[in-house]
Amino acid sequence: MNLTDILTPFTAWAGVFKEPVTIKDPLNREAAPRYRGFHHNDVAVCIGCGSCEAICENQAIDLVPVEGIATKDGDSGLRPSIDYGRCCWCALCVDICTTDSLRLTNAYTWVDTDGDNFIFTPGVDAKPWDEKQEGWRKPQNGYEFYAKERQHMSELHAEHRIDSFIEFVKGYSKEQAQKEADRCVSCGICTATCPAHMGIPQYIKAIRNDDMEEGMRVLYETNPLPEICGRICTHKCEDVCSVGHSGDPLSIRWLKRYIADQIPSDTTKYKEILGTSNIDKNSKKVAIVGSGPSGLSAAHYLALLGYSVTIFESLPEAGGMMRYGIPEYRLPYDQIDKDINYILSLGVEIKYNVKVGKDITLEQLHNDFDAVFAGTGLHLGRSTRVPGSDNKHVYQSVDLLRDIVLGKEIPTEKRIVVIGGGNVAMDITRSMARLQMKKYGQVNIITTSLEDEETMPADREEVVEAREEGCTIIPGFGPQEIMIQDGKVTGLRVWKCLSIFDENRAFNPKFDQNDEQIFEGDMVIESIGQGMDLSYLSEETKSKIEFNNRGRVVTNADFQVQGLPWLFMGGDIIQGPDVIHGIANGHIVAQAIDKMLFEK
Amino acid sequence: MKTIIEKLNSKYNLQEIVYQRDNLVFAAINKENAIDAVTYLRDYEGFSHFVLMSCVDWIEDGKFQLLYLLNNPTLKSDLGLKVYIDRNNPEMVSAHHLWKQIWTYQRELKEAFGINFPGSPRVDENFVVEGWTDIPHMRRDFDTHEYAQKTYFPRGDRKTNDPAEYMRKKLYPNQPITAKQRKDDK
Amino acid sequence: MINKFLGFKPDEKLLPSQTVTTDTVIDLSSHKYQKIWLGPNHPGVTGNMSVELTVQGNTIMKAKTHVGYLHRGFEKLIERRLFVQGFPTSIRMCVAEPDTNEYLIARSTEELSGYADAVPEYANWLRMLSLEMARLQGLLRGVPGQGGTFALGIGVQWGVYLRDLILDRFEELTGARVYHMYIIPGGVRGNLPEGFKKRMEENLVEIDEFIIRIKKLMFHNSVFKTRAVGLGIITPDMVDKYGIVGTNARACGVKRDVRKDNPYLYYDKLDFDPPTATEGDVYARTWVRWQELIQTVDLIRQIMDKMPETGDIRAKMPNVLNWKIAKGETYVRLESGRGEYGMYYVTDGSDKPRRINLRGPSYNHAIALFEDMLVGADVADVHAIMVSVQSCPPEIER
Repeated sequence: MNLTDILTPFTAWAGVFKEPVTIKDPLNREAAPRYRGFHHNDVAVCIGCGSCEAICENQAIDLVPVEGIATKDGDSGLRPSIDYGRCCWCALCVDICTTDSLRLTNAYTWVDTDGDNFIFTPGVDAKPWDEKQEGWRKPQNGYEFYAKERQHMSELHAEHRIDSFIEFVKGYSKEQAQKEADRCVSCGICTATCPAHMGIPQYIKAIRNDDMEEGMRVLYETNPLPEICGRICTHKCEDVCSVGHSGDPLSIRWLKRYIADQIPSDTTKYKEILGTSNIDKNSKKVAIVGSGPSGLSAAHYLALLGYSVTIFESLPEAGGMMRYGIPEYRLPYDQIDKDINYILSLGVEIKYNVKVGKDITLEQLHNDFDAVFAGTGLHLGRSTRVPGSDNKHVYQSVDLLRDIVLGKEIPTEKRIVVIGGGNVAMDITRSMARLQMKKYGQVNIITTSLEDEETMPADREEVVEAREEGCTIIPGFGPQEIMIQDGKVTGLRVWKCLSIFDENRAFNPKFDQNDEQIFEGDMVIESIGQGMDLSYLSEETKSKIEFNNRGRVVTNADFQVQGLPWLFMGGDIIQGPDVIHGIANGHIVAQAIDKMLFEK
Repeated sequence: MKTIIEKLNSKYNLQEIVYQRDNLVFAAINKENAIDAVTYLRDYEGFSHFVLMSCVDWIEDGKFQLLYLLNNPTLKSDLGLKVYIDRNNPEMVSAHHLWKQIWTYQRELKEAFGINFPGSPRVDENFVVEGWTDIPHMRRDFDTHEYAQKTYFPRGDRKTNDPAEYMRKKLYPNQPITAKQRKDDK
Repeated sequence: MINKFLGFKPDEKLLPSQTVTTDTVIDLSSHKYQKIWLGPNHPGVTGNMSVELTVQGNTIMKAKTHVGYLHRGFEKLIERRLFVQGFPTSIRMCVAEPDTNEYLIARSTEELSGYADAVPEYANWLRMLSLEMARLQGLLRGVPGQGGTFALGIGVQWGVYLRDLILDRFEELTGARVYHMYIIPGGVRGNLPEGFKKRMEENLVEIDEFIIRIKKLMFHNSVFKTRAVGLGIITPDMVDKYGIVGTNARACGVKRDVRKDNPYLYYDKLDFDPPTATEGDVYARTWVRWQELIQTVDLIRQIMDKMPETGDIRAKMPNVLNWKIAKGETYVRLESGRGEYGMYYVTDGSDKPRRINLRGPSYNHAIALFEDMLVGADVADVHAIMVSVQSCPPEIER
């Protein structure tokens, strides 16, 4: 011990003369810009997907209905409410938020006398910090909780696919499918939008677990045509996918195809997986008119319920528009057969080349069967009715597409003009392009639609792919005249289309007559929509049922025809053209018929 | 490290040898040989630093897996010796004589998993949960959530909704289209 | 021998036997002894822990550590959580340096799932920065805290102020002051804010000045020297026997430091040499920690100097909600302010860990070692010894 050691500690007294470091006003200290304080949610952007609830490690988040926010496609109408008795301010909820609507502000003081107030719904219950912009937001610099980009789907290059009808989308490999499935946050928002209400998160989970048999069971619960839907479904689910709000939506359609593709085409194996080897039959019989998606779907679910089902098909093979409307390069015939063969193996009988209304009457079916379902589809082409459209070199796309499948000789000219902007227009465009390529070695086809580039009803990828294949797509023009010289088509005269609907939202296109163009061509194909052929309804039947202003038969929610309880109608003739709607209708009809026959 | 493992293997017949890293090896050893091997490693192979003693409950196999993790400060390497013991009769030879801290671990394992170490000092004293009457609290079959619900006072007024299920009820309540609405066990 | 408290040489016959060992037989019914409880109040800069002392006069004959006041079953709770959900819970296992837990969880999961090399370089530097900042704020409280156990409160107040400055930096880097929740499996959760280095440097300059002041206050202090020198000696042969690590081992000449022995992150790119001492008493341990304070400030400067300006902060990993890890196990360690801090992590192929087991240095220091060190010590020195071994009850009980 020495004197220094006694004296040195007194240097601490130097602190007496220093300015105190205490913060003068500690109650109003502003936290750092990144501070994790109380939540704020932009409820107009939030879709209530519940990812925040799923990732919350303290179960502090509940999804609650909020007044003024409706449940609709792509929005559950629920919003997260936070229990601050449990919250630990980790902000994982912010980091996973699919819409980037949730954030933490840097406000951190809140005094209240009632503890129950500390459960609140951010963004709905007004709080003093709502306007504060500082606080925790999802970090940048490559910080992502799930991959934003979808797995690339490998396709045949345009020059390798244009000269044949082979399928050009190759399908996912196992690794790709699992990576794509991994992106799913399992919110289930998609299920409501899917017309068939498929268990989408559930079958995606089956892919992650590499359990294809479980995947098949989930698919068949709501959709008996997975190979077909996995290829050509209009995938409305992907439009509402929560992951799509800040990234690519999941490739739900391709994932469905992946599952179906993994199961070999063997009906015994199918039955084993789906547990349908033994079905208790009942004595009731149901007749179905048309073997399209709605007819097949109804037949499938009725067969599972034990009914004897007979389908009457006017064409030589089953599938309806799926076979006779959709080109083979999008949906190969063996895949259609794979789905249909399984349905047939359940005991469903199809009578081919039997046209109801001609070979057998609907009333006859009513006598022979306990119930009848008509899913006859839209097989009649609609004409533009412009001058010249009655020429024999003006064709309807539905007829041509059907003739291609039937193997008939297709008139293929060197220069073709197609009118229409929907998926069918793209189908005929790309089919004719392939035929041109085969015949002439080059593609020369112009497709024009009333709608402009943004509002064309066709799927975006169809337009892009058609252009890749050398087709010319010129949207935004309205046909005025099909020009004829010496009985032969020489081209299509069009005007620039300014607007399609008038202020009453009625179809009433307006044109700019000064902007006239002539698309030269030796044949014109009209593809502006299809109509239904209800000629199988006798006059007496027609008198009993009701039609709406669009000419469609009025049914109830179960697709039971008003006035004729034994008759159900569904699919395209009621819902408009869409395969997945047809499947959904078929399912509902099957359950409705079951209910009707067994409650009687 | 490899030579040590080989030597140890020829002596005690190790199983499941895993080179997790260059300087970290896990291996399983018979219950009878375990303490022998640990002593050998300490006294002859320079594994003088005892890092950790732990236990994993493999309830589906009916086994507890004890871990003796030893560190060799010269080689700067670790060796984890695993011992599987019967879950229904959990008992292990005590190693408290080898390192001073081991009795603490054994006391904790007795309380947390119910594994007995006969002869270990103070092994029956409570470690962290005084007056515990339930099954040992680190076993897999002890459900913390259920225990918390039972013991504390959960709020009864909170209610959450599954988005898919809620949308079904709101948007298409009359189409019970799947026979059973599957619940995703997320 | 002149008793340092009495100031004269007492009659040996009147005093109890001075050669107390852990083997001394204690018969409470002899009325020579009494039991007193120290705690479970918060005994200073550590945590809630109590010591059951059997004393004879001022001399401790026997000591028992009692823990359990902070047990919340974190290891078990993490078994119920997804891999990404583990880190907000884990930090509560060590209040003094929470970042260490985050790093161990992140590193274990990355190693077991094969993403160990995928973590971006920038993220690893930021991890190292936050770990060293955590060490610094721990030492700013711990070094003067040792003086606090001898009623030298002023240093503690200085330390708390400076620690607050580091917490300000934590706040702008991580979004929180104490529980940062910054290191996440795959990387970190934020880049370096604009102007961070400048503000940090200003704080470090203040800390440099504090380091000199604390030296004058504590290490040139006759009271501190009288009390701390020769107190609570750890000898080198005790190190392996009790599993002593960190500064406790280094203060008696056993130079072990995970940052040097098993370098993790980029510690092999930094220039440093862990300070050591030979005496192994309370004074030596505090002195080593004081030197470490200097070194940590230097390390933070080195890190800020060497780290890249910007970059990705997280690796491309599977969707956190669906992330599963194949069956496996690992042990990951780092050097915390208190020594080797490790985690045994077991996965079973599901989306949640099978078992995690934290190995905190206090587990050995505050029970087996502390109980034996107290035998023969004076009651007034219990706190000093407790703080000098850096006991931290939350990491014992987990």
